[in-house]
Amino acid sequence: MDFDWTTFILEIINFLILVWILKRFLYQPVLGVIAKRRAGIEKTLTDAQRIESEANELKQKNEQYLINWEAEKEAAQAQLSAELAAIRESKLQALDTKINEEADRRRVLNERSRLNFERLMEEKGIAQGAAFSNKLLSRLASPELEARLFAVLLEDLKNLREQDKHAVTEAAAEPELQIKVQSVFSIDQHMRDELSRLLNEVTGRTLPIEFHINPELIAGFQIDIGPWILHANLRDELKFFSGAIRHAG
Amino acid sequence: MNSPTVIFYIGPLGITSIVVTTWGIMLVLGVCCWLATRRLSLNPGRLQAMLEGVVSTMEESIQAVLPGRAQELLPFIATLWIYIVIANLTGLIPQLHSPTANLSVTAGLAVLVFLSVHWFGIRSDGVRQYFKHYLSPTPLLLPFHLISEVTRTIALAVRLFGNMMSLELVALLILLVAGLLVPVPILMLHIVEALVQAYIFGMLALIYVAGAMQSKQSEKGNNL
Repeated sequence: MDFDWTTFILEIINFLILVWILKRFLYQPVLGVIAKRRAGIEKTLTDAQRIESEANELKQKNEQYLINWEAEKEAAQAQLSAELAAIRESKLQALDTKINEEADRRRVLNERSRLNFERLMEEKGIAQGAAFSNKLLSRLASPELEARLFAVLLEDLKNLREQDKHAVTEAAAEPELQIKVQSVFSIDQHMRDELSRLLNEVTGRTLPIEFHINPELIAGFQIDIGPWILHANLRDELKFFSGAIRHAG
Repeated sequence: MNSPTVIFYIGPLGITSIVVTTWGIMLVLGVCCWLATRRLSLNPGRLQAMLEGVVSTMEESIQAVLPGRAQELLPFIATLWIYIVIANLTGLIPQLHSPTANLSVTAGLAVLVFLSVHWFGIRSDGVRQYFKHYLSPTPLLLPFHLISEVTRTIALAVRLFGNMMSLELVALLILLVAGLLVPVPILMLHIVEALVQAYIFGMLALIYVAGAMQSKQSEKGNNL
């Protein structure tokens, strides 16, 4: 348990030197690298926090964008619904108009069909009536009726209106004209002379006259003076009658 | 225990084996630290991780006692821990003795602690403020403060010296009495004791220094 002052002093010096050595070669380098790593970690943390804040900011922006987008979508949907409703309304109105027009057209067509049908029925009735009359008058046709109609013919020729006389005169002015007289029954010479004299008087000329038998006339006569034709027979009278009835209808 | 042998002389100064052992420890520590810290990287290997763990643990221990002043105290306190552990364990090497089993060495360390207490206290509080705390809470306690300063320094030196010397002595006695391998359990106890004594010495030094540096803060707290 000896106390050595030299050792005491040297130990103090040695320890102070050791403090310097360890501080220089151990503490400073190790603490330096720890501080550097800590700074790196803090920088990483700071960057991570910055990135997180940026991410949060982006998230908020995105959420806001989604909210705005949702609002715009709802507004667009509302506008679209309104436009669709307006289009549907206009289409419905157009369809109603078209339906009404179609109904009117259909009604007009039905009316026209009905009128056509009625007219057809009338024509059919007239035709049937004419056929019946034709048949009846064909059975009633006789020389006596023919003679009577001949008298009517003579009377008509005598009582021609001035304009008819003028037309006959013009028709008879054609050169080489031949008067054609058709009858159902053969007419005798006396009647032929009477008729020739009267025709010459009406036309103002002496024209050759041909006499033909035409049973289709039913009864009576038909006189052709060029383009001018005098109907004095039952067939044409029935035609005129039927035509008059049609025109009257 | 024999007195340390004087190996050689530098002028009138006789250099003992204890001093030479201490130089050896310094050399080994210096070279090892230089080699270990040459290529430190941010991605540590095993050795660097161990070094960082040791240094960080010591820094956190100081930080726990004196928050905010760990960087300032780390070189002194950590060197105490490292040197005393190495010095204590040197006794396990055949033909070598623990420097800390010598009173001159432990007295030198205790004197360094004594001086560092005042050094750090004055640096922290200023001369006037620092010495004023010897008169608080009443000047009547000044003798007790002075006695405390001396006795705790002596206690530091003698505690470490006594424990390490006794361990070596016990191991030697058992070796003489019982035989070659019997002291092995005692040597294992030596390892534990070396770590414990180093921790106690360093922690007491830390507490003494912290007490000196915190006198100003405690006074401020009292005034509040």
